[in-house]
Amino acid sequence: MNFYEQYLAINKKLACGERVLYSQREGNHSHESGNNNKILHYPRIGIYTGTGASHSWLWFVEIFERVCFYDLSFLDEDDIKNGKMNEIDVLAMSGGDTFSIAKALGARGSEKIQSFIREGGLYIGSCAGAYLPLNSSKTYLNLFNYVNAKITNLTRTLPVAKTNSEKFCTPYGCSFIFHPVREAVRLTPIEVIPFKGVGSLLAPLYGGPPMVASDQTEVLAYYSDFTDKTIFLVDESLARDTLLGKAAVVRKKMGEGHIYLFGPHFEHPHFPLANKLLVDVIYWDSRKISLPNGYVPRDHMVVQGADLKRLIRIIKREISNSRIVAVGLETMPVNWLIGKKVYEPAKIREFLEAIWTRIKCLENANQIIISAGKDDLLTQSVLEITSLLRDIKKEIDNEMAGIESANRLFKLLNKTSKLFLEIYFRSNMVYFSSPRVYSEVMN
Amino acid sequence: MEYLSSDKIAIIDLASSEITEEELDEDLVKERIGGAGITTTLYERFKDEDPIVLGSGLLTGTLVPASALGIMTAKSPLTGKVCHAPLTLYAGMELKYSGFDYIVFKGASEKPVYLWIHDGIADINDADEVWGKDVWESTDYMREVIGDNMIQVLTIGKAGESGSDIAQVCINYWASGDRWGFGNLLGQKKLKLIAIRGMGLLEIADPEGFVNTCRELLSEVKAGSFAGKKGIAEIPVAMGEEDIKDWIAPLIHRHSSCFNTPFAANTFVYLDEDPALLKEPDIEEPGFLLTDIYGLLGFKKLGSSASDSCRILRDCAKYGIDAVAVAELSQKSGRTDPEEIKKSFPGLKGPLMSSGKGVFSPCTPPKPIFTDFSLPSDGSGDAQWWERRQAVAYIFGIDPLFALMSPELSEEKLLELSNIGTELNLTSEILDSVIGEITK
Repeated sequence: MNFYEQYLAINKKLACGERVLYSQREGNHSHESGNNNKILHYPRIGIYTGTGASHSWLWFVEIFERVCFYDLSFLDEDDIKNGKMNEIDVLAMSGGDTFSIAKALGARGSEKIQSFIREGGLYIGSCAGAYLPLNSSKTYLNLFNYVNAKITNLTRTLPVAKTNSEKFCTPYGCSFIFHPVREAVRLTPIEVIPFKGVGSLLAPLYGGPPMVASDQTEVLAYYSDFTDKTIFLVDESLARDTLLGKAAVVRKKMGEGHIYLFGPHFEHPHFPLANKLLVDVIYWDSRKISLPNGYVPRDHMVVQGADLKRLIRIIKREISNSRIVAVGLETMPVNWLIGKKVYEPAKIREFLEAIWTRIKCLENANQIIISAGKDDLLTQSVLEITSLLRDIKKEIDNEMAGIESANRLFKLLNKTSKLFLEIYFRSNMVYFSSPRVYSEVMN
Repeated sequence: MEYLSSDKIAIIDLASSEITEEELDEDLVKERIGGAGITTTLYERFKDEDPIVLGSGLLTGTLVPASALGIMTAKSPLTGKVCHAPLTLYAGMELKYSGFDYIVFKGASEKPVYLWIHDGIADINDADEVWGKDVWESTDYMREVIGDNMIQVLTIGKAGESGSDIAQVCINYWASGDRWGFGNLLGQKKLKLIAIRGMGLLEIADPEGFVNTCRELLSEVKAGSFAGKKGIAEIPVAMGEEDIKDWIAPLIHRHSSCFNTPFAANTFVYLDEDPALLKEPDIEEPGFLLTDIYGLLGFKKLGSSASDSCRILRDCAKYGIDAVAVAELSQKSGRTDPEEIKKSFPGLKGPLMSSGKGVFSPCTPPKPIFTDFSLPSDGSGDAQWWERRQAVAYIFGIDPLFALMSPELSEEKLLELSNIGTELNLTSEILDSVIGEITK
């Protein structure tokens, strides 16, 4: 049994209200007590999908689904500013454009995130989400000075890019943040729960920070080596100096809660051990407040029968239409600079596949649970994506850059994935946690 | 049906635009294998509603060499028989992955419509904007509307719309092996075109065994007697016709093959640009893909130059008319001028010698190509052998031309691969029975 299956079994118990200890999560029956043990709780997780988030939030979704963390909310900047974090225990902030995220959240968003953490919430930042709470003097970023750690990939004199020049650096005031390598690197965790007993592991780096932590910040893992999959974007010796021996994962306690910052993407679906540690972090340090199992918000309704069939057919048809255009775009020599991030056509399909691979499940469902009005919104959105993609294809055929359309498209893909996944996980969660409640809701 | 299948049949009532879906029953596959075996069964089931049935072979779109074939089965308006036309190039493969194993069109629409199939979704749409366009314009239109240059378009041109006996269903821009006037049938049903894109996946019962067997088979096949040869111009000599290699050589730009087919049987000629051009052509459509050996030979026999012959073939493809029939009727009426021939397209009709007599399209030569398959040298066994060989190709989904040049793709090997791929116990007795049914 792999770890996903093991944790799935644990989460099934947790979602149905059974008591499981941290030490029992891998199937052993130890009842060890003290500092090395805790009672596990089924977490309510919020994933940031708002302005500045790249497709990598979908990796969180993938990993959480594999272990049946179905109580997922998808939050944009307005949700955060409007207090939606009261309904979650964990906030997962993915990769993307840190500057855009900071600007979108602003002072109010920062206050809300701070109070969330201080009151016991767990903040997990990956890549851009890790840069966000690091101390900075730059406008907007300085609203999020939660963690006193320095990054070692900041320079005033930009080194020469060996490859991937479009993804190699990001301007940062008069300086630059440069990315010395991409793809898998080796990490060495320290012997502290939840990273205890791991040895070493691999995780992919796509621009996340190498850090030097201050006294109040605990280092949980270091960059220790490169791998045969590592791609060097700068001279190898500079990459070594910048990365190796620097902190890859840090933790800071803040009030009652915790901040975990991951330079590499522990949520990347191809790295099971990193995924396991990410889930262990949630088990170990997430807030311990839970709503009753099978909780269905009052504004939600059940869609079934012919209405459900019609809705799923429209989504399926339009996502299929969109995938077909998107695959064609991937053969074209085009990419778009949106904010400070470069987007290539392959990113489009990351969103579309996240919906496509899950449609089958809803197709087989007898009913789904959906927030009032969201079905129309979703229908509109999927139609708009197809239309926009076809427009972009025409623009590229006519040798136009299509940046405006691409900008609109990625926003729409984010919004649509969020809408769809809300329905998907809400429907799954109710059934998963409590077949009895599910049956009552249906009746 | 779990393996090598999308497990879905679409039944499309053109009169009401209603689409119903059925699962593909595994028992039907055990009994009729696939391809023409099943399109014939479906034809029989709906025969009172004048159906057209599209389907793919059991092995279509797989790693099996030359597994390119899709099949169109209907009653030929020309011969009155239930016949099969080959869907080659990439159409068969895309159909296999479109989410449907078989598609039945029954009845007729009152207004022009087209079908768009993709990912297990079939939609009938209004074709007002594309009705009246020629084959090339129709393909361009669909690719632009859908936003993808890889969709395969089975379309009729003006010939099919106007009820020509010799209207052809073309594949994208090019001539197909439809020698049955199926283009006319689509026109009567007001079905302008079928656009197909396949992005699905197939399950294989024993993937490792299947891949290994295909790899070994490919090595054997590639060492066959066609090795070192390419292009349409290689075929005439092998079928006992005159050598056209020198005649066509100055126009040749490149050769291409159908999906996963080791012999590149199609030849692209440049008519409006220098074929020796190494850079991208300055004009959008510099030439034409030759897919129809009998059409090419037909115009050569009229005395046309290679360039004129290819231009007439291009005109035929745009109009959506069977070039072989056009060549025969032009010869009978003494027309040799390309412009005159083009002007004669509307209303062109008459008894044809070139129509097939059996149930498989006569678009492939009636004998082995580049090899003899150990048949008697006097040709006495050719006709019977050809019919059986075509039947096998149309059942399993093998390119019907390549089937004539590769003894390595034996019935035993195709049955073995089918069984590895599906875990069914298909036998030579079942194959004999299916061949008997579809050729009777």
